[in-house]
Amino acid sequence: MHAVRNIDHCTKDCLCLYVCPTGASDTETGQVDASKCIGCGACANACPSHAIVMVPEEYPTQQEKTVPVANSMKRLADSKTMQECIAAGIAEETDAPITRQLATAVAKSNRIMAEDILREAGYMLPQSKEAGSFLNEILDTKDPAFPKEAVEKLLKLLNHKEESKSGKEVNKMEK
Amino acid sequence: MTLPIRRRYFIEQVCMICGFVYDEAKGIPDQGIVAGTTWESLPDDWICPLCGAPKSDFKLQAETNQVVKPITVNGTEEENLTELSNAQMSALCSNLAKGCEKQYLAEEAELFLQLADYYRQKAGVVKEKDFDALLVKMNENLEQEYPEANQNANVKPDRGALRALVWSEKVTRMLNSILVRYEKEKNSMLENTNIYVCEICGFIYIGDNPPEICPVCKVPNKKMTKVERG
Repeated sequence: MHAVRNIDHCTKDCLCLYVCPTGASDTETGQVDASKCIGCGACANACPSHAIVMVPEEYPTQQEKTVPVANSMKRLADSKTMQECIAAGIAEETDAPITRQLATAVAKSNRIMAEDILREAGYMLPQSKEAGSFLNEILDTKDPAFPKEAVEKLLKLLNHKEESKSGKEVNKMEK
Repeated sequence: MTLPIRRRYFIEQVCMICGFVYDEAKGIPDQGIVAGTTWESLPDDWICPLCGAPKSDFKLQAETNQVVKPITVNGTEEENLTELSNAQMSALCSNLAKGCEKQYLAEEAELFLQLADYYRQKAGVVKEKDFDALLVKMNENLEQEYPEANQNANVKPDRGALRALVWSEKVTRMLNSILVRYEKEKNSMLENTNIYVCEICGFIYIGDNPPEICPVCKVPNKKMTKVERG
């Protein structure tokens, strides 16, 4: 566990400065210094505005999704994202400001619904094996415009193992 | 002379979007609707005081517990759907970006957004369609996809999935009502008011100021963003 501060909630009571045994909360950026934080939780307990929370290093595994549930959610997300693209098309083509405003709102609404539905299709945690397989699957995308570097960085940062297409794990040191 | 509709009992009507209950016995004195005002005698353009839903989105309290007619899901073993459209890939990535933000992983969130943008570009927009095309899709969602998804999520109760389905089904109903009304009233419906979208569930609110909390997901209104005109 380590402490993080949500600066939006912070009311500058600065009790974290006083209780932290290592000085991790004493930074210029307002963020807790992760390299000094020992995870004791004293700052989170002392904070009167609940601006500091303890974040686990490792999250428990995601709730398993059954195949029919995951598929139902994906079908819905397919429809919602299609509606997003239709609404975005209306917004792009119309000359009427009010129609554009409404279509933009509809596109945004559908995007938010699709995100939430996909989250519950088995993609809640970026560290989950589902998210890992997804990243591995797109890694070999053949398109010069594809941000491959972003995928490689994500695999590394989120501690996912890189896999070859055959599904075998590739040892990063050997590559 | 037509007599006002009279009944010997009072009924309650429940808003299917936000759960507001209109109780005939109480009326809504703040709005000048006196106790005893029947549902039928509320004007046709009366809207839910909490979320703005029209009368057609209300159901009789007694009917809200009705068992949903089970739909037949084909019994064969389903294969996991793996093919996702570019637009879905984009939403998947922006969802994971949000997941990173919640864990205060700023760099990871940024990278997922890069991917989301890439797929959004590839998906493009669908041209030469109108709001009718959206209404058709929404009706399909409400008649087919939602009942089926709810049934599947109830087999081995999946709280997370059921929660997401409740929210987005309500948002879809509301969107449906808004677009139906817009087709009828055109721009006069929106000329002198604002449009807000809830960043958490996607609920669209039409009114001068957003309600204190989102009527669907109940998040405080600082998460309801105004969509500007222009």
